[in-house]
Amino acid sequence: MRMTLRTLGLTLSLLCGSALDAHAQRVHVLIITGLAGEPQYRARFLEAAATLADSARTRWGVADSSLIVLGEDPAQDPKHIRGKSTKEEVASAFVRLSHRVAPGDIVLVFLNGHGAGEGPTSRVNLPGPDPTAADFATWISGFARQTVVFVNAASGSGDFVPVLAGRGRVVVSATKTAIERNETVFAKPFIRALTTGEADADKDGRVSVYEAFDFAKKEVGRLYEVDNKMLTEHAVLSDTAMARTVAFGGKSGSSDPRVIALVAERQELESQVAALRARKATTDSTTYERELERLLLLVAEKSQAIRAAGRKP
Amino acid sequence: MRATAVLLAALLACAWQQPADQRAQVRALADAGRLDEAERMARGGGASLQASLGEVLVMRGRLVQADSAFRLALTSDVAGRRTAEAALAELAYRRGDRAEAFRRASVLAGAYENPTGAWSADDRVAAGRAYVILGTRNSAAVRQTLAAFDRAVAADSSNLEGRLRVGDLFLEKYNAPDAKTSFQGVLNRSPDNARALLGLARVAEFEGKLESTPLLRRAIVANPSLVSAQVQLARYQLEAEEYDSAKVAAGRALAVDSASLPAWSMLGAVAWIKGDSAEYNRTKGAAERLSSKPGDFYAELAEAAIRQRRYVDGMRLARTALAIDSSSARVLGLLGNNQLHAGNIEEGRALLERAFAIDPFNLWHKNTLDLLDNLRTFTTIDRGHFRIVAPPKEAQLLATYLVPLLEEAYDSLSKRYQYKPSGPVRLELYRQHADFSVRTVGLAGLGALGVSFGPVLMMDAPSARTKGEFNWGSTAWHELTHTFTLGLSNNRAPRWLSEGLSVLEERRARPSWGADATVEFLAAYAGGRLRPVSQLSDGFVRPRFDMEVILSYYEASLVCEMIEQQKGSQALVAMLTAYRDGLDTPAVFARVLGMKPEEVDKQFDTWVRAKFAVPLRAVAASDGKGEVGGAFVSTMRSAMTFMSASKLDSAKAAFQRAQLLFPDYAGPSAPAFMLAKIAFDRGDFRGALEQVQRVTSRNETAWDANLMEADLRAKLGDSTGARAPLERMLWISPYDIAIHVRLAELASRAGDHATALRERRAVVALDPPDPLDARYQLAHALADAGDIPAARRELLGVLEQAPSFEKAQTLLLELRGKP
Repeated sequence: MRMTLRTLGLTLSLLCGSALDAHAQRVHVLIITGLAGEPQYRARFLEAAATLADSARTRWGVADSSLIVLGEDPAQDPKHIRGKSTKEEVASAFVRLSHRVAPGDIVLVFLNGHGAGEGPTSRVNLPGPDPTAADFATWISGFARQTVVFVNAASGSGDFVPVLAGRGRVVVSATKTAIERNETVFAKPFIRALTTGEADADKDGRVSVYEAFDFAKKEVGRLYEVDNKMLTEHAVLSDTAMARTVAFGGKSGSSDPRVIALVAERQELESQVAALRARKATTDSTTYERELERLLLLVAEKSQAIRAAGRKP
Repeated sequence: MRATAVLLAALLACAWQQPADQRAQVRALADAGRLDEAERMARGGGASLQASLGEVLVMRGRLVQADSAFRLALTSDVAGRRTAEAALAELAYRRGDRAEAFRRASVLAGAYENPTGAWSADDRVAAGRAYVILGTRNSAAVRQTLAAFDRAVAADSSNLEGRLRVGDLFLEKYNAPDAKTSFQGVLNRSPDNARALLGLARVAEFEGKLESTPLLRRAIVANPSLVSAQVQLARYQLEAEEYDSAKVAAGRALAVDSASLPAWSMLGAVAWIKGDSAEYNRTKGAAERLSSKPGDFYAELAEAAIRQRRYVDGMRLARTALAIDSSSARVLGLLGNNQLHAGNIEEGRALLERAFAIDPFNLWHKNTLDLLDNLRTFTTIDRGHFRIVAPPKEAQLLATYLVPLLEEAYDSLSKRYQYKPSGPVRLELYRQHADFSVRTVGLAGLGALGVSFGPVLMMDAPSARTKGEFNWGSTAWHELTHTFTLGLSNNRAPRWLSEGLSVLEERRARPSWGADATVEFLAAYAGGRLRPVSQLSDGFVRPRFDMEVILSYYEASLVCEMIEQQKGSQALVAMLTAYRDGLDTPAVFARVLGMKPEEVDKQFDTWVRAKFAVPLRAVAASDGKGEVGGAFVSTMRSAMTFMSASKLDSAKAAFQRAQLLFPDYAGPSAPAFMLAKIAFDRGDFRGALEQVQRVTSRNETAWDANLMEADLRAKLGDSTGARAPLERMLWISPYDIAIHVRLAELASRAGDHATALRERRAVVALDPPDPLDARYQLAHALADAGDIPAARRELLGVLEQAPSFEKAQTLLLELRGKP
């Protein structure tokens, strides 16, 4: 009976705790950069787009056909920018991606620039007419069977969240409301979070949207604090529970049955660690620490065995 | 001259004037300080001018005669009877007969609230005066006071008395802007009105502005008999430690009004500070004769003692004052604040709450009580000789660095000054400068970085200011030095000596710490704008220009440096003990230096001119008007112009010329730093290092220069040497995680596990973006340092959160089985 319960607990924890692995699924990325206005913003926007695009390609294995970068002027970075970020081009990019996605895939839309408007008419300044939050809501409605991660890193982006949020959607904005219109610094730490291991709080080799958001939010606070400035941007995340389940990066799974078995055994041990943690408050501290160390050593040994098995032909 | 003619005409005309005009003339004469003539005229006016006569007699300190005149006025001076009633209440209050004072004031206020006849502007002023007395027990009366004075002005816009009283009331209730408007309103009608000028001087002092003293002097010129102005001057001089001048000013006040308790209090304060017990007893006797409740006499003494940093004595005197008048918000506040400064937080809070209940307008008390609520959330860390109190977010981080530094300072200073504080030294650090300022003086806006109240120190946390604005290590060392120098001198060291020693000790602690010669200092010194040694305390308490306080710190440190150089370091200690023994500055100079003050002044001037002979030739003497000039400044300007135009060879040549003109200059855009940058960009790393060290060895806030030095040493393979600039940077700002990581790595590579461990702990305390990795690195450092159990504990904590963390798993396996 005890055994059955434990197994049931393990199954539940695997179902609830495991992030949707963006590597196992296919990831599609659309990066849209708006009008810069001033040279320093241009450099910043271009760098953000390039870093994210490079990482998508190299770290997440996103196919070129699933990676679209639109910018103010493609000549500014021909290596990355595929087209001009006009309203028509953006609409067309969504259509192109809709032809490539499969059920369960992840679509990451990253929007950067200077924001304007409010409510459903919130927008980011793009060359020509600006698409509104309502326009983006219409465009992503075509991805009903995919998970869409929509990030608006622009100033005054807060009103995008209520307009775009919904089932299967994780929406991130750099600001809480459309009124927070000062220039934002959110984009850089958020991209750093997605493209390095720094934000990987649970050290599972993948960065969830929640981890990236949390990392970026802390970094934004720190940047303002160091400069002795009042915080004028308060990032928002639409769905923290779902954001924990969508992750980017991670090692490719092995097809070696020995490795698969070892990984399963390690997952079982990790689940035991989680179960022990859940009992921490009601367990004697000495017993808890002794059991924790025992389990963690077993996990560590299992990792060692996995690495060794992976190296063997 | 013009004023005299007007007054003469007024006197000649008075024979046929109406009483109302005559009263105005008496007042005009009194306002000009011509009290003899005012009295003569009032006496000549007979019964109808008795109230006016009484007012003049009060100004002259003839209180018994004044009392008789007022009593006569109650029945014979129809127009002046309400003024007489108010004045009688005030006289009763002055002599300590509070019951009589309140009875008379209540009657007058009652009549005002239920009027049966006409109330002139003067009558309304009288009602306001009654409310002032009632307000000492009931803070709500303040509004009625203001309304009465306002109505007096509304009834007669030329009534200056009403406007002056409004100004005084606003100032008493901490509303400087409105007080200023009222006093300006008086001056618009009467440009030489001494009381309005005095009011503006007090407003300027309240606002911390430099024009306070000039305005006060204008008031005294306008009316040399204005007792309150003379008393104010005496207070300023007492604060500047010019005791003889203070005594003269108080004496002038008493020559006019021998019954002035504030003037006797000033004389008493001077006598008490100088240890002149006969004179002190004389003043005390006078105060006791004047009032059966001379609480204000002791309050004034307490304030003077505290201004002289004699906190324990100040509190004792304040307690005496409180025993006389337990409802004095002034004394309760004074005692409460000093309990707080002594580190007795709960006692201080209780006293301030009592004070605030009596005077809810007091901004200082309100701010301080609000801050105390916030202080409850602070973290207290007791280690060794110190108690560190800081915001929880950074208390551990700051204590990690501060405690070893302060212990080092404690050892060094206790040996040099042969003094040890009796208990732990409390250091409070504030993330908001405004909080530090409120904790110190009750209001935001204090310019200082730190303050010492002996065994209690307060300072800005490094997070309170922009990086590069100050060095928090040298600031802590500076403040702690005060604990020792004030302790040794029994809090009698004058301001200049205490500050000078603190700056000197900063320089002794670390070569780059402490103030250094600047262009502004040399220009001001050459221009004769800085005070001679014998008057140097004035430069701190009565600055004549914006930078004088800052420059006086450096000047004071040079005085100490000269004394040490010429007489040995024991001379400085001997000076402190001489002050402790009650000697004044001339006597201290005579005993320790064998010189008169003017000889010390001369010797210092010669010494400074020799020490800075080279740069003084290249910096033009400044009169404070316009920009600083001279060959150094013009050469630097041309060098920067070349730099902006990317003409690097020309820029380099110009910077080299500038460096010859002022070789030790290490301030902003120092030639050495610019030359280092040019050399760095050209790949001349050795040349760049040689130059940049000239900055990092003299400038305690040079973040960029220290970073450059660390980079250069790394490029040149000097990983050991690269640690020193990184260590210096931590005292400029401890919040840069990259610097801590770099230092940890260098220390670890050098086998300095203690430093590596400290740095890894600092990274964790800074709540880094990747906390688990930081804790893993800490575990690694603990293992390297041989503390395996702690390393294991840390690792378990990490893996508990992230069981899949491979690096941590590997280390855990490595530690298995190790003891």
